[in-house]
Amino acid sequence: MQERKNNPPLWLRFLLRCRLNEQAHDEVEGDLQELYDVYAKEQGKLKAGWWYAKQVIGFLRPLPTRMTRRYKSQKKLSHHQRIINSSYINPLDMISNFLKISWRRFKHGKGFSMINSMGLSIALTAALLILMWIRYEWNFDSFHKNKDRLYQVYGLTAAGNGESQAIPAVPEPLGPLVERQFAEAEATARVKSYDGFLFRVADRSFTGIKGAWVDPAFLDMFSFPLMQGDGNRALRQAEAILITGSMAKRLFGNDNALGRTIRIDSNSQAIVTGILKDFPRDSRFQFEFLLPWSHFERLAGGGSTGAEAWLRNNTTTFVQLRPDAALASFNTKIRNLSRVNAGRNDIWTHFLFPLRQWHLYTEFENGEPSGGLINMIRIFGLIAGFIVLIACINFMNLSTARSEKRAKEIGVRKTAGASRYALMGQFLTEAWLTVSVSAVLSLGITILVLPYFNSLMDASLSIPFGEWRFWILLIAFVSFTALLAGCYPAFYLSAFKPTGIFRKQFRKQTASITPRQVMVVTQFSIAIVLIIATLVIREQVDFAQSRDRGYSDKNLIRVDFLGDIEKNYPLIRQELLNSGTAISVSKTLSGFTNGGARSWGFRWKAENPKDTNTAISMFSADADMVKTAGLQLLAGRDIDINHYSTDSSAVLINETAAKLMGFKDPVGQLLFQGAKRKAWTIVGVVKDFVSGSPFDLASPVVILGPDAWFSTMYIRLNPGQSTTAALEKSAGVFKKYNPAYPFAYNFVDREYAQQFVEEQKIKTMAGWFSVLAIAISCLGLFGLSAYLAEMRIKEIAVRKVLGASVISISRLLSINFLKLVAVAICISIPVAWIAMNKWLENYAYRTSLHWWIFAAAALLALAIAFTTVSFQSIKAALSNPTKSLHTE
Amino acid sequence: MYRNFLGEFEELILLTVALLNGEGYGARIVEELAGQTGRKAALSAVHISLYRLEDKGLVRSHLGGAVPERGGRSKRFYTITTDGMETLRSMRDVRQSLWKLIPSM
Repeated sequence: MQERKNNPPLWLRFLLRCRLNEQAHDEVEGDLQELYDVYAKEQGKLKAGWWYAKQVIGFLRPLPTRMTRRYKSQKKLSHHQRIINSSYINPLDMISNFLKISWRRFKHGKGFSMINSMGLSIALTAALLILMWIRYEWNFDSFHKNKDRLYQVYGLTAAGNGESQAIPAVPEPLGPLVERQFAEAEATARVKSYDGFLFRVADRSFTGIKGAWVDPAFLDMFSFPLMQGDGNRALRQAEAILITGSMAKRLFGNDNALGRTIRIDSNSQAIVTGILKDFPRDSRFQFEFLLPWSHFERLAGGGSTGAEAWLRNNTTTFVQLRPDAALASFNTKIRNLSRVNAGRNDIWTHFLFPLRQWHLYTEFENGEPSGGLINMIRIFGLIAGFIVLIACINFMNLSTARSEKRAKEIGVRKTAGASRYALMGQFLTEAWLTVSVSAVLSLGITILVLPYFNSLMDASLSIPFGEWRFWILLIAFVSFTALLAGCYPAFYLSAFKPTGIFRKQFRKQTASITPRQVMVVTQFSIAIVLIIATLVIREQVDFAQSRDRGYSDKNLIRVDFLGDIEKNYPLIRQELLNSGTAISVSKTLSGFTNGGARSWGFRWKAENPKDTNTAISMFSADADMVKTAGLQLLAGRDIDINHYSTDSSAVLINETAAKLMGFKDPVGQLLFQGAKRKAWTIVGVVKDFVSGSPFDLASPVVILGPDAWFSTMYIRLNPGQSTTAALEKSAGVFKKYNPAYPFAYNFVDREYAQQFVEEQKIKTMAGWFSVLAIAISCLGLFGLSAYLAEMRIKEIAVRKVLGASVISISRLLSINFLKLVAVAICISIPVAWIAMNKWLENYAYRTSLHWWIFAAAALLALAIAFTTVSFQSIKAALSNPTKSLHTE
Repeated sequence: MYRNFLGEFEELILLTVALLNGEGYGARIVEELAGQTGRKAALSAVHISLYRLEDKGLVRSHLGGAVPERGGRSKRFYTITTDGMETLRSMRDVRQSLWKLIPSM
């Protein structure tokens, strides 16, 4: 064949090739070629090309089967050749046939199809929700332009007693020093958030708005766009404030806020120099106003520098590196900044923590990010996978079970010349159709449950309908699931030998363990593991919630010092006590649930240098703290500045602290604090109480006397009054002494409950997932048992005729399934035991794995499986034998 | 007698096959149609009609050898059968008798 110069477009020729059988293609292409050459010569290549395309399109219309059916030649074929040739199938026709048959199947076995698509769509919904959530959390904070160059500076305590701890704050002078001293640092910003301001515009006042003091570079580093104002200058002016659009609306209504003056507390004011767009929800910073750092320094009485300032880790600091900076070498440069500047070698070091990990990693082990949200993402990702797997197993099981009914069809298809590939195509198409229907259903369900899921996960997810990537992912996901669900029936069923099918021999299964049994066991194992996990999580949360707190939080409220409260504290205290509103009032420096201020600065006699590296939680008290908080005094007495004038430097310690310091008789011993070695006298020892996370073991605590500082007060309300009445009276007192601010208080028991939010989330999610897993598994079991009962309907009828009882027949039908569930129990218990042990290790204060949890989960699974199966088997056992026997 | 009803286009194709006298194949017929009647037929239509005519037994076909001008493709030559001739004739007769009945103007 000679090489031709003028050839029509290749893809058109390929299209033709697909459409026609070999013979017709040969003739048609020859004709086309001949005419094409003529046209090309007469009218040019382009016109001829158009003509060619038009002709090819003409062949896409319905054609006589002789032109499309694939044979090698017109001569008679032997049976063998026919089977070989049948693999040359017109793909378009075949696919339309696959779809047609699949649709008929779908309609024909309505019950089975329903079970399949219901299970699948529930599973897909769960998977979809989880994937959307993972995507949301994964992309948290990633809207910043410089996201790959932004770091937070961390402190890392010296590894003394036990492991070193990562602290998300550094000394205040560190940021500016880094920017001055190192070329790699393009910019640094310190951020200190605050929500205690009283803002006043004209005669209206506003409180409880969260914002922050930031260095001017903050807006260059983080992408928070301004709607009005100049981003470069807004924060660099003295007496400036930036507010968000929604705050501007609250303060100024629809008036233009730019250039207006806001009074802050009673001592300063600021001019609005810029309006920020509201901070997006997936931002770590949730501020409504920004004040320049200079404002903070003015309030604090000048910036703190000098060696003393380097001993306090109190400022969150961010660094933006130059694009070419090497992280590792920079890390070594800043490592010892605090030690050098404080002139001490036993304090913390520093390292940079990249933005990408801020949201996902919140826990550290020896300075390496070790966990946090990422654990939850991993766990739920895994669970979503398992749930889809369970639903796929349903699909496989029901398809293979039904296959015995379809065996004849397969036999006929095979003898008529269907190849194995064609049959596989058929089954995969069926799977694909079912999964697609389920996917559409699950999109609907997702829309319905999304609001609930959002409130549960505290996220703002929405289905990204407008994004093409979402659709591609969805289609890929559907195809993958279809492949997973359809591959087993496709391979299993297409392998049937036609001769075996017609001899009715194939039904005997010789293997002692069939794949179907394995799959049921897998399903139930996963479901049981999830049930056990749910029970353990519930147990752990309850355990920590009902933990002996060491203080009594009934009728206990906390009021933060705002405005004039601190100044008028003695008067407020007196009035609350005199009016009988409160039985005890004390002030302290931090709420118990906040864990106090951590300090490494205490020294004592006969100290062990290892022990001085242990963080000690600091609280403070003026008087009556034991009575107010309901602490238990083990030795000595309470601090009481009103009776003992020397108590301004008294200190209470807890049991753990006493043990750490190694005092035999702690009362009367001295503690020394800080570089100036301020001396504190121990006057009493209290029982350990929960300060900080309720999942942690008790930490050493000191409660310092009135020489320390204060920021909040505890009030124990009089139990003789109703809470509302007591609160009303207290509000009156605070209004009198702190008129500018509304009365804001926290119930301590509610604050305590707040600490379980994350665990409650896991608990709810795990609960839902285990319900889903067991429901989908049972759906499959239901279908399978219905099918097997139907298969054995004649056998049951004969047994009944011969006198078998309903009970014996239902037992016959159920026992095999229950055996499988029993095997699943045996597999799942050790797996769950190991997994849950590992999970519990995250918590220092943890429950033990009780045997009854496993027993309960096993019983539950058995009971549910039994109910599911017995529904079918009793139905079969009750059926009238004459009905099932008279068909033959 | 079994009668074949032919569409107008099929009749044209059949006539062309007849006049080409055994030398007719797809491309040739398209060209001949264009030359004789000025009608530009789609190749697909021609092929489909030829297959239909063959199914009805009005034409017969045989494969010719491959030629280089056609890129090494073979031709299928069509010849009119006696049935085909018969059908054409009877169609012409019917038309003529109808023509005769039209009153002359």
